[in-house]
Amino acid sequence: MTPHRITDLAGFNTAREAGLAKLLPPRPRIAVGMGTCGSGNGAESVYHAFSDAIAGRGLGFALSRVGCFGCCAEEPLVNVWLPGKPLVILRRVQASDVPAILDDLAAGRVPEEIALAQIEEWDHITAHIKYGNGYPGIPSWDEVPFFKGQRKIVLRNCGLISPDDIEEYLAVGGYQGLYKVLMDGNPDAAIEQIKAAKLRGRGGAGYQTGIKWEMMRKARAERKFVICNADEGDPGAYMNRNEIESDPHALLEGMIIGGYVMGAEEGIIYVRAEYPLAVHRLQLAIEQARDYGILGDNVLGRGFRFHLQLVEGAGAFVCGEETALIRSLEGRAGRPTPRPPYPAESGLSGYPTTINNVETWYNVAPILVKGPAWFTETGSPKSPGTKVFSLVGKVQATGLVEMPLGTPLKTFIYDVGGGGIHGRNIKAVQTGGPSGGCIPQDMFDTPVDYETLAQIGSIMGSGGMVVMDEDNCMVDVARYFIEFTQSESCGKCVPCRVGLDKALYYLNKFTRGEATDRDLALLDELSRMVRDTSLCGLGQSAPNPVLTTMRHFMHEFEDHIRARRCRAGVCEELALSPCENSCPLHMNIPRYLQLLKEDRLEDAFLSVAIDNPLPASTGRVCQHPCENRCRRATRDESVNMREVHRYITDMAFELPGYAKLLERLAACRLPPTGKKIAVVGGGPTGLACAFYCALLGHEATIYDANPKAGGMLRYALPEYRLPKKVLDRELDIVWSVGVRFVGPVKVPGELSLNDLDAQYDAVFLAIGTWKESWVYLPGTELSGVRPALPFLEGVAKGETPALGSRVVVIGGGNAAIDSARTALRLGARVTIIYRRERKDMPAIPEETEAAEAEGAQIMFLAAPHRIVGNPDGGVQAIEVVKTRLGEYDASGRRRPVPTDEILRVECDSVILAVGETVDQDFAKASGLKITPKGLIEVNRYTLETSRPKFYAGGDLITGASNVSNAMGYGKKAARFMDEWLMGERRWERIFPVWEYDQTAPPRASASRRHVVTEIAPAERAQTFAEATRGLTAVEAMEEACRCLRCDVRNGHH
Amino acid sequence: MPNRVSIRLDGEYIRATRGQTILEAARANGKFIPSLCAMKGLHPVGACRLCVVEVAGVGRLLPACTTAVQDGMSVTTASEKLRHYRRMILELLFAERNHVCAVCVSNGHCELQALAKRLGVTSVRYPYAFPRLEADLTHPRYVLDHNRCILCTRCVRVCSDVEGAYVWDIGARGVQSRLVCELNVPWGQSENCTSCGKCVQACPTGALAEKGFAAEEMTKRLEPIARLASSRGGRI
Repeated sequence: MTPHRITDLAGFNTAREAGLAKLLPPRPRIAVGMGTCGSGNGAESVYHAFSDAIAGRGLGFALSRVGCFGCCAEEPLVNVWLPGKPLVILRRVQASDVPAILDDLAAGRVPEEIALAQIEEWDHITAHIKYGNGYPGIPSWDEVPFFKGQRKIVLRNCGLISPDDIEEYLAVGGYQGLYKVLMDGNPDAAIEQIKAAKLRGRGGAGYQTGIKWEMMRKARAERKFVICNADEGDPGAYMNRNEIESDPHALLEGMIIGGYVMGAEEGIIYVRAEYPLAVHRLQLAIEQARDYGILGDNVLGRGFRFHLQLVEGAGAFVCGEETALIRSLEGRAGRPTPRPPYPAESGLSGYPTTINNVETWYNVAPILVKGPAWFTETGSPKSPGTKVFSLVGKVQATGLVEMPLGTPLKTFIYDVGGGGIHGRNIKAVQTGGPSGGCIPQDMFDTPVDYETLAQIGSIMGSGGMVVMDEDNCMVDVARYFIEFTQSESCGKCVPCRVGLDKALYYLNKFTRGEATDRDLALLDELSRMVRDTSLCGLGQSAPNPVLTTMRHFMHEFEDHIRARRCRAGVCEELALSPCENSCPLHMNIPRYLQLLKEDRLEDAFLSVAIDNPLPASTGRVCQHPCENRCRRATRDESVNMREVHRYITDMAFELPGYAKLLERLAACRLPPTGKKIAVVGGGPTGLACAFYCALLGHEATIYDANPKAGGMLRYALPEYRLPKKVLDRELDIVWSVGVRFVGPVKVPGELSLNDLDAQYDAVFLAIGTWKESWVYLPGTELSGVRPALPFLEGVAKGETPALGSRVVVIGGGNAAIDSARTALRLGARVTIIYRRERKDMPAIPEETEAAEAEGAQIMFLAAPHRIVGNPDGGVQAIEVVKTRLGEYDASGRRRPVPTDEILRVECDSVILAVGETVDQDFAKASGLKITPKGLIEVNRYTLETSRPKFYAGGDLITGASNVSNAMGYGKKAARFMDEWLMGERRWERIFPVWEYDQTAPPRASASRRHVVTEIAPAERAQTFAEATRGLTAVEAMEEACRCLRCDVRNGHH
Repeated sequence: MPNRVSIRLDGEYIRATRGQTILEAARANGKFIPSLCAMKGLHPVGACRLCVVEVAGVGRLLPACTTAVQDGMSVTTASEKLRHYRRMILELLFAERNHVCAVCVSNGHCELQALAKRLGVTSVRYPYAFPRLEADLTHPRYVLDHNRCILCTRCVRVCSDVEGAYVWDIGARGVQSRLVCELNVPWGQSENCTSCGKCVQACPTGALAEKGFAAEEMTKRLEPIARLASSRGGRI
């Protein structure tokens, strides 16, 4: 590049033409995305591979470095262009891909299989580049979900031009804005345009840039300064780094314009020393601008003098605050000073100074070239334009996203970000970095602009957007940010210096499970004080993460205090291991795995049974939340913990000394207390509660409406999933500790709640949800339409309902799949109709797959419309409306929206499995307080109801759930009833202590995950015999050995 | 432009001079606003935040020591919220370092102690940090005891603004901030210190003190009395 000083329009145009010739050369062009992000993913070696191969093969292709196009999840990105064709962006290119790419280009093709997107033409705002047409097989860039809806004004050149070549910047309309302003020679008019555009400071505070500039222009002084604040320091925010690395000249242009219109001849860029590449590219850009006469004593030959200097910040977060930044530039310690005086009156060394964020400067040239009216077309009325956000955390597609201001949060998270990773539920998004706040998922309709975010306690900040899912503990998130701001506090004012230190002390107490209600109140009060009284923005906004998490996630703080639990499993002191923490029964899973590994089957069985009195049933039908959290999954697959305890239990049943084992279990009973506890409902919740009540020394009696115990396990779960003889065998565990069963007896009815109140010291209600929800459609009154639960119950009791040969099941939960598989076994052909997608089904995925293997058809995205009757009053067919996926709803799933397409499915029966609810007659008759959803209201921590002595748990308080959840409530109720009855905490006393190896395996075992053996579908679908065979002894042992022993810390727990 | 302005302080009209801060105007009129870092003669820094007041029409609290009066301004200096916040700030100061009044040289002459009494701070709810801090005894006449320092920077400012010696500054940051002598040398090795003692006079607490006044230094010497008495033939 031979620099030539531009002094007139002709010179300007010559440089421009030279740049265009580089962007659109008459030969193939390759450009490697080489921001810090790309280089970190191997772009350097990709570049060198290209350069070596092009030279080696004598191909004569153009090769250059460009910045980053923003799609971090797909780095390294490489642009390839053939003359006359669209620009194609290739994703995840490695050095090994280079020969094949060159082969393709040499043959006049592009490698479509690794293409992310194509660009036919690009709007650089200040210019328009037409690349060409073609490639029907590659999506256009704005069709890719990550880019859809993005509006690139700030990032107009990023990833498309070389940051190291001023001519390429000139080629895409660079320095045109500057040229125009200098030619016009009317600074006031330029400031008016910035004002009319209502450009607001992009550093976070959102102050009107035009007003700030006007103040500065009016200030009279011998020297004035314009400063760019590039001290980007928020964790998770890197938009400024990328902007500078990809397009440094746009920053220079904005600042030179600013200097001209405000009457400043000196500019300073204050950039983080931790951004070496940005510093390097800026230095290069400044040199080039000097060489071309764009910086210096005679800018573009128009007689304006402007010099630009680069200063590297020493890495203090507080230097992002403008007064601290100025102190730092003056060579003093970076500590803020009170405003007023504002920098516009007295800034650097006492001279008038204007400080703007990197991104604010990037907006200047486009506004002046295209006019304020063009700018205000984008964004919201009060906050026009766009903002670049760094979308990071628990979303599938991370990266830099430039969106119009006012775009709702859910667009960022679900459309651009693609939603949660591994199907996890997104819980919150944290905006504005450490000074911002957490916004809960149910507020994702919130438009992202300055005012709205401030209203809900967060801030725009510099544009960090950290997405959090159910694996994030919000208390820990607050602790993390306070730890950051506490360590970055400059120490000048008391509230920030000492207040944040104490706030961190309390938050640490929470994460250790040692906090009290008093600590919560003190933390709240302290946060407000620090916010209201601190000197600068750092202290004033530092409490935001605490205040917003307390506002929106108070239940998590309460969990840490009252239950000493961290649901996300982040706070290590509060959990034994991720599996134990996620198990509703809090089974000590590593212990039974280790005991089995040590070949101590009897101990392993007792360990399982004392934690979970129905280990054979749960071993077969539990939803196994433990496996979703297993750390082994990060290596290969989770440990099959559920099947190991099924194995342990099944083996123990066969032991000759099984009766002796039960005696050992019964020996854990505490001495009789003389207290009597009634348990209403003999399902898993009631059984678990009664078991622990008995172990605690109380007299426990279960009343049930059915003649035998088991509840849904016996009367709803089909035989092929849980054989009744297995259930009977394991119920001996419950009976062995002295639980009494009375049934059938109706409560209330034959026995009233008042009777129980009179006869017992405490009563636990656990009658579950036996009422099937009903959908109201035309035709549900027909005789072939039946609810799922009574259908399953009838079959379980030995009835054979007349279904006909074709059955349609409506629903997507476990009851729907159970009904379908039962109907198959009764000889019918089955179609399941579900209104959402497969991944949204609440049923256990293995069950759904098993049903399909047995021949069930599933129609997704279909909602029932009408059931057509036959002349006999039976069912003839069902009409379903096809749905399509609409917007994201509060559950983070896309709402099904009906279309016009209606399908007809001929059938003889319809089974409705759309969810079960609490029997409202019981709820009302009980006289207990009920929630708006019709559930029994309880204290979340103790399970007490509104009536003294009465506790409730299971589906009765949660709505239809699953076996292990239900049992968890029974277990918890026993503990709190005992505490209430006895006035002391005796819970730990019933659990024996085992000695077992407390060392973690030195390396993960080689074995892969073992799963149960399924009987061949054709065979198992004929019969109600159990559909799976449990693990073999060797498989179970290998599974136990796969455990990484997260429970072992520092050699022992 | 008239040089005199009128402002309302807790509902009462007072006269002030343009350019005065709220704190100066209040003091000139005999009104009390608590403060620790502000001192007559030194430029204000707004660090202790005890003097924050409510100004009608302004959404946030403003420090009286750095906010200039404006004609017609209405200021509330002692709302329940302000009193509450001030007590909290004092509590935080007490919890930050080791303020043990009973053995402090400034016991009874300490602005921190006096403010705590006046504002009714009788206990501290926050956990004491009990940092292990040193006392710099290297200066021949004076002592710097970090245990008592509240980082008000009055010493820093009196040394730079009045004495012009620039001996003191604040080193490190956040809760680790410490008063440092020059480039963090022992006070006794200071090259600029004129031993004028202004910093000692400016210090609101017992952090900077003259040697010889500490409780520990108050050892009694009975021996000479006995000797004197015996030389005069008194009974032994």
